[in-house]
Amino acid sequence: MGLDFTFLPEYAPFLLKGAGIALLVSGVAISLGIIFGLSLCFVVISKNRVLSVLGRIYQSLFRGTPILVQLLVIYYSLPVLGIDAPPLIAAMAALTMNASAFQAEIYRGGFMAIPKGQIEAARVLGIGIWRTRVRILIPQMMRSVIPPLVNDSVSILKNSSLISVIAVVDLMRVSQQIAAVTFRPAEIYIVAGAMYLMMNLVLAWVGRISERRFGRHL
Amino acid sequence: MTKTANMAATDSEAGDPLVGGDSVIRIECLHKFFGDNEVLCDINMQVKQKEVLCVIGPSGSGKSTLLRCIVFLEEYDRGRIYIEGKLLGFREAGGRLVRDSERNVSRCRRNVGMVFQQFNLWPHMTALGNVTEALVGVKRMPRAAANEIGSAVLTKVGLADKLDAYPSRLSGGQQQRVAIARALAMEPHVMLFDEPTSALDPELVGEVLQVMKQLANEGMTMVVVTHEMGFAAEVADRVIFMDFGQIVEEGTAADIFRVAQSSRLKQFLDTWRARNTNLPE
Amino acid sequence: MSFDFNLYVQYGPTLMAGLGFTVYVCALAALIGIVVGMVVAILQGLPVPPLRWVCRGYIEVIRGTPILVQLFIIYYGGPSFGLVLDAETVGIWGLGIYCGAYFAEVFRAGFESVPKGQTEAARLVGLSSARIIFRIKLPQMLILIIPPSINTLIMTIKESAILSIITVPEITKMTIQMVNETYAVFEPYIALAFLYWVIIEIVSRVGRAVEARISYL
Repeated sequence: MGLDFTFLPEYAPFLLKGAGIALLVSGVAISLGIIFGLSLCFVVISKNRVLSVLGRIYQSLFRGTPILVQLLVIYYSLPVLGIDAPPLIAAMAALTMNASAFQAEIYRGGFMAIPKGQIEAARVLGIGIWRTRVRILIPQMMRSVIPPLVNDSVSILKNSSLISVIAVVDLMRVSQQIAAVTFRPAEIYIVAGAMYLMMNLVLAWVGRISERRFGRHL
Repeated sequence: MTKTANMAATDSEAGDPLVGGDSVIRIECLHKFFGDNEVLCDINMQVKQKEVLCVIGPSGSGKSTLLRCIVFLEEYDRGRIYIEGKLLGFREAGGRLVRDSERNVSRCRRNVGMVFQQFNLWPHMTALGNVTEALVGVKRMPRAAANEIGSAVLTKVGLADKLDAYPSRLSGGQQQRVAIARALAMEPHVMLFDEPTSALDPELVGEVLQVMKQLANEGMTMVVVTHEMGFAAEVADRVIFMDFGQIVEEGTAADIFRVAQSSRLKQFLDTWRARNTNLPE
Repeated sequence: MSFDFNLYVQYGPTLMAGLGFTVYVCALAALIGIVVGMVVAILQGLPVPPLRWVCRGYIEVIRGTPILVQLFIIYYGGPSFGLVLDAETVGIWGLGIYCGAYFAEVFRAGFESVPKGQTEAARLVGLSSARIIFRIKLPQMLILIIPPSINTLIMTIKESAILSIITVPEITKMTIQMVNETYAVFEPYIALAFLYWVIIEIVSRVGRAVEARISYL
């Protein structure tokens, strides 16, 4: 009853493909999450009461319920709404919507840290609100949010393991399939875990480097 | 002779913005509330072209709020402010005053420049970047042209060698001079200064006041809220003394500093003299 | 599109049972997590390098891998180690070990955040080490620790949904069951999301109240 990893080389390609899917879905969720997160952030801090409240409700929903539930809801709701999307797209959509809610909070923190006087100076100079956001606020917000962003990315990668539940053939699903064939669940899941760990360590390392590069001037 | 605020009000005809001829800023019966607190009470004043007006008074007297109302960073509650004859922040609609659009407000205060106590530079841009941002973004100048103007104006405030420096590498006095250059680059008709030297170490105050004096000598219309009585006495054409949101006394610098009429102003200047010694007699 | 409230009447008891199980599982897991976290945080603070490495390793590995993988290793892979446990036990202990790593970080940050000046001042006045720990460090740590602990607790509640995948009969599993049996999609999942949202709101509010009570700043 020892651990036998000899089957690994034969199944390695499948595992790598699964990891690739996990990275793909996570990557999309992280990138789109940044864009939508920034937008959501501006909605939440907007002076328009209606928009602000709607934004907060969205945040509350996606941060206050399990990602698994969100995945299931979105996966099963899409057909009902008439959208015919493959599981992969549903997975990306769910992870992105979830990521946006968390990221918006991170950016809001970054925004709060910027002295309001900078915005006033821009106003008096006649710089419009969008230009102020793009040229003055966002560059500063991005620099101060790199560590929480990296943490979030790690979470997103871990959350991606759940898309196996809606039939996406990611690393988890591949592992399950291999376990069913080789009857070596302990070994295969330990390997899968190690792969996730490695990806996350790389992410954290990238984060440290980015922080060093972008953390100047402020 | 000093005049008190109410007399000034009767000189003008309420509602006609062009009376007073070349007044760059005209304020009529201005009131501003923060909740129940009346921070500005019946302010009436004008600023004429090329005039240097200094506003002095104790903390909390409403001086900064007044300045911020002039650029509509604070929305005033009653009265009118005219910038070069145009009503600021509101428009007539069916006999009432209605809040104007942000675009119109921007257009109205286009020729007003402001320098803040905390400089408010953008830390992720160089000095030149700070100065040219509005030129490129608002006046839609090509980068090269903007850089030329930016360099010229930074040279004028004595920072020709700091064009590519980031604010974090500049002293307080240098940062404030960049802020002044940033406002100047837009070629304003009037410059507002909100306690421009209050956040500076004493040794750095001089370099900023020097730039401001130079501007005054060149004929810039200026409204300066300041605690630097020496500067006010030397450079101001007129001085306004505020307390508790009201204009208590106004007149020429000579009048104010030499022949203070109201007891409150006397008290204020005596306190100031007790702590500083360079008020000219 | 009609909304069938009868489904709730029909499945009410099942869902409530699931809800109860979720609360039960989360409470136990949180308990385990807090104890494990405290132990790890203390061990990590001791000047024994091998101990520090083991603790650090535990924290990094547990936080760096998805909880689903960890649960699968224990539940499906356990037999290979001679560990045959039922789903409930795997769920509670798995979740407990997972959140334990997060609590460990929270407690460690808490230990390190008490301003050094306070300990120095206490020493100068002549307080003994033990007294310093109990009367000065611990009380302040408590305040610093409460908000992040509440967040970790909320995280635990959300992660508990994953237990459904290894067939633990908590609320998500019961809801999925309801979906499979009734082919309805909206009613079950909306109720599920709502229930989690309510639980988490309650925990947040309680957390804020506790914070306000304890804080004397």
